[in-house]
Amino acid sequence: MIDAGLKRTDIGGAIDLRRTGGAGDRANYTDAYSRVLGLRNCFYFTVGRGGALAGLGMAAAMSFLDRGIAKYVVLMGAVTDWSQTQQIRKKGYRGMANREKAGYWGKPLGDIQAASHHSWMAARHMATYGTTSAQLGAIAVAQRSWACLNPEAKMYGRPITIDDHQNSPIVINPYHLLDMSQISDGGIAFILTTADRAKDSPRAPVYVLGQGFGEVSADLWWEKKNFTHMAVATAKEQAFGQADVTLSDVDCAQLYDCFTAEVLFQIEDYGWCKKGEGGPFVAAGNIGPGGTVPINTSGGLLSCYHLGDLTGLAESVRQLRGEAGERQIQDCDIVMTTGHGGELVSPGMCSIHTCTLLGRHG
Amino acid sequence: MAPRSITITTEWKKPVPNVDHDNEVFWEGLKQHKLMLWTCKTCGARYWPKAYCQNHDNEPFADDCEWRESSGRGRIFAFNIHEWAFQPGFKDEVPYVYALVELDEGPLISSQLVGDNQPSDVHNVGQRVEVVYEDHPNEGFTLPKFQIVSD
Repeated sequence: MIDAGLKRTDIGGAIDLRRTGGAGDRANYTDAYSRVLGLRNCFYFTVGRGGALAGLGMAAAMSFLDRGIAKYVVLMGAVTDWSQTQQIRKKGYRGMANREKAGYWGKPLGDIQAASHHSWMAARHMATYGTTSAQLGAIAVAQRSWACLNPEAKMYGRPITIDDHQNSPIVINPYHLLDMSQISDGGIAFILTTADRAKDSPRAPVYVLGQGFGEVSADLWWEKKNFTHMAVATAKEQAFGQADVTLSDVDCAQLYDCFTAEVLFQIEDYGWCKKGEGGPFVAAGNIGPGGTVPINTSGGLLSCYHLGDLTGLAESVRQLRGEAGERQIQDCDIVMTTGHGGELVSPGMCSIHTCTLLGRHG
Repeated sequence: MAPRSITITTEWKKPVPNVDHDNEVFWEGLKQHKLMLWTCKTCGARYWPKAYCQNHDNEPFADDCEWRESSGRGRIFAFNIHEWAFQPGFKDEVPYVYALVELDEGPLISSQLVGDNQPSDVHNVGQRVEVVYEDHPNEGFTLPKFQIVSD
């Protein structure tokens, strides 16, 4: 609100961004942050599906703005995953045991964490297209290089090489530790308003140019192609159609990266290279600093911090405002940011994909 | 030859199966050493878990479908090897193979590989597997696991 030059009384509504796909039920002060902040909003509710938070929240907020129900909507997501995992570790658990929903099909069978099933995607891509662990490592290395240009990143000052990736512990083969995203404590808030009001903002506004969505379960919830693809097709068509731009207009992309293979899939699915050729594409250095397609320029979930797709949204805003310091993309006009999340239902991945195009100019 | 089964009577210290109205027939079938698939009576399409038949309207919900026994055979579609036990109940089992199995009838199902095969015996997708029924009489459930078999 301070950044946007607003008073609390300007805020007409508030949205809580939360992973509802996991055991996300909490009861603490952030559950009612709009009360804690003393907002006099006329609506407050929770949006989110796995890591798809900001994309869905923005779509909801814009309908309130379009109808004139609110002049400004605040959206906020916050997690204490790091603190909670430190506690549960004392009981012999590893990873985000606090977040994984009881009752999933695979739980009694050893499917305990997200990596227990997400790693199938890497394995399947490897078996189908010959992708290698070292090629996935190139994604981890590129994003770490970006993180080393971002003082806010958890892994700032800790560069890695492909050898480091290959020598990092195998947690769930084919995934090494360095294929996996961070576990974080943190919070991000942003405010949405109409373009005409944004013009009065003391800081440069960022414009939503287009949004699109896709569901991997559109055909079958255990559709086999979901293990080598993400639900990009409709999301891309909708978002790029509204924005009237093409992939080559995108100056940098913040792709949801819970694990390295998700980045690979999206690079192929959006069409920066052909399906199956993502491995050589990333190994050639295309996505890191100085590459042809800058991807996850903050370090992303792998090397910066994990606040779902809010991580990518925050970086998109920084790049478009020209506030990204050493990692700033020159003449950055259009940024793409994606979200991903959902449920694992026996044993299909039921996940949504969100694509948001943001611009420096409306 | 009847599929293999294993009986385990030690105390269960892992998450328990999620048995509900939609899948109770499936879980009962396992106790009788049958792997049941949701089958359309009109076109024979097989699904797991329960779902609408994709091939035609069958109002009311999945009315023209029933549970029918699967061959229990399939191929590894994807797999991983858990080196870490994320839950303390799995500490004695790592490293274990957690596989996505494409049943001969089409649907995917996932489970742990058991039997004499070690993780190092699992080389690639496409390897032939067969269901193994793991009975837990003290707990009142049977888990479908898989083992590698020759083609």
